[in-house]
Amino acid sequence: MDALQPDEIEAIHTATLRILSEIGVILEQPEARTLLTAAGATISAQNRVLIPPQLVEWALAQCPPTLSTRGRGGTTVTLGDGSLRWHNLGGARDVFDPATTQIRAATVQDVCTAAQILDALENCTCVTPFFTPQDVPGELMGLAMYRHTLPHTTKPVYGPGVQTARETQYFVRMAEVLGNPSEVTMMAISPVSPLNFPAHLVEAMMEAARSGLPFGALPCPTAGATAPLTISGAIAQQNAEVLASIVLVQLVKPGLPVLYCGRLAMMEPRTGVSVWGGVELGLASAGTVAMGHRYRLPVNVYGFSTNSHTLDLQNGFERAINALIPALAGADELSGIGEMDAGVASSFAQMVIDNELAASIHRTLRGFSTDAEALAVEVIASAMNTTRNFLGQKHTRNHLKSGEILLTRLAERGTWGEWEKRGRGSLATRAQAEADRLIAEHHVPPLEPAQESALDEIMSAAHKELVR
Amino acid sequence: MSKELFDAMRQSIIDGDPELAAELAQKAVELGIDPIEVLNQGFVPGVSYVGEQFGLGEMFLPELVVAGEAMKAAVAVLEPEFTRRGTERQILGRVVIGTIEGDIHEIGKSLVATMLSASGFQVYDMGVDVPIMTFIEKAREVKADIIGISALLTTTMVRQKDVIEALEDNGMRGQVKVMVGGAPVTQSWAKEIGADGYSEDAVGAVVIAKTMMGAA
Repeated sequence: MDALQPDEIEAIHTATLRILSEIGVILEQPEARTLLTAAGATISAQNRVLIPPQLVEWALAQCPPTLSTRGRGGTTVTLGDGSLRWHNLGGARDVFDPATTQIRAATVQDVCTAAQILDALENCTCVTPFFTPQDVPGELMGLAMYRHTLPHTTKPVYGPGVQTARETQYFVRMAEVLGNPSEVTMMAISPVSPLNFPAHLVEAMMEAARSGLPFGALPCPTAGATAPLTISGAIAQQNAEVLASIVLVQLVKPGLPVLYCGRLAMMEPRTGVSVWGGVELGLASAGTVAMGHRYRLPVNVYGFSTNSHTLDLQNGFERAINALIPALAGADELSGIGEMDAGVASSFAQMVIDNELAASIHRTLRGFSTDAEALAVEVIASAMNTTRNFLGQKHTRNHLKSGEILLTRLAERGTWGEWEKRGRGSLATRAQAEADRLIAEHHVPPLEPAQESALDEIMSAAHKELVR
Repeated sequence: MSKELFDAMRQSIIDGDPELAAELAQKAVELGIDPIEVLNQGFVPGVSYVGEQFGLGEMFLPELVVAGEAMKAAVAVLEPEFTRRGTERQILGRVVIGTIEGDIHEIGKSLVATMLSASGFQVYDMGVDVPIMTFIEKAREVKADIIGISALLTTTMVRQKDVIEALEDNGMRGQVKVMVGGAPVTQSWAKEIGADGYSEDAVGAVVIAKTMMGAA
């Protein structure tokens, strides 16, 4: 599916170059300014940094076409190889319990449990530290999220939301416990829309780049509030924010692997907050994919995304539409496994449901074949000459095995009577039971004792320095 | 004459036209009309209308914001006239507002400031990344009735509590109400840290602030 035609992509690209070279970005961190101006950027009358098209083109030419991370289990995930990958929502505040339909504040234990469940879900390729644990001081929250995710998954673990250079350094030290930080993790940083790069974020970006961490440029504009209300205008601004980030990190470390990320959502016109469930989000994500691919970069956008507070119909249709559109547009990685309530909450049942939904989206992307084997004229002849049905045909068994029909585990496909006999359970109750089973049964190989103590030491040093 | 002028003022607010609102306010000053009358019969009915339409779902936040801007422009023109006459604009209360230290997210806080200001509060917007003691010092300086603290990040939200503690340490907690807001903030968080008010959005914040001042 092409969300944008080639001439539309060029129009957005041209608009982006104008934003960067004529309007500029707010960026006052002295070291970064010096780097940028030495490379050809200039300072506007409004004290913004103007980035010329040649510098943007230079930076894009430095970016490799793929980005890889390796889990401690040994699996390497490469984004940009043409297949679709998934990771979970990062940074949810609350845990939703489908049984009571109540929420509670997330704790460190929930960070661990989420990682364990995500480790078990085959469609979750990389794990982002899930919850913001409220039993940890604010200054340590991001680092604690990463620390407590590591022991509970062998998949690649992405960095937490990091705000400063010091936090970045502690994060890199923890990654070193697993291996070379540039191989075992990646880190995303969000400039503040519109076009604002505060000093502490710039310092974190530069620190990450110096450490060779694969870098995700992750603006989160809200169309109508912190970006133009029109989707194309907001994509152009978001593109400028991504490209400015890329220019900066490539100046620090030429050749650094970069992930083109976008989190563009529309404004709720009555409250001003971001709408995560509206279908415009899926459209904007598809447009974002088209822009990132114009630059031959792997693209990561919102996938599963809803405003719904519970596991209801709204939740289901919003997340399905919002994931399917960018998936069809060719996204390299979708976020959002487990997301609920505009990213504020999650439930373990939701994570399990999303694993199944992701399978349906993969099935959609796979489409169906029209070769002679699939067209099956000989098989039709054979059936017509014998039983006049296809149940006994070898062709049927072969293609059942090769996945022509996606077998679901949680979706109800029985009759009314069978469903009644099983106690009339809903998808949510089946998903919760599956989550409970995974918590009880899914074993994750632990870290080495030396790794555990190394992580504890780093956390305790961070505590001493960062917590007031 | 006044009736026509007042109608035009009302409309300038509804249309969100700051230039026209300022021009009409200037005209009223030149005609020697009492600024209290100008506000109450000209501009405030415009703000009330926009508020009502918003409540009915007929108008949206962007329209509220431009109405607020128009109101601000009118008040700026009328202020010197109040001073000259030795009278004061009737205000509902004084609010010191800002985004907490460590957090540079601006829009939610600015919306609340605009809405409060349009609704008759005197607002001191301290911007973003505001140190805890800056809230306290400004509140003392302007004899604030309310402090509003915004936070977008879960990691910075925890510092809202520090402002309340600092108010207590400085013996000011009894005189100043505290309202908190921002994406991760909830009613239960507000309650836990001992804040006096919380709202999910800017329009709700005005209702809370008015209730705090006994003006709802």
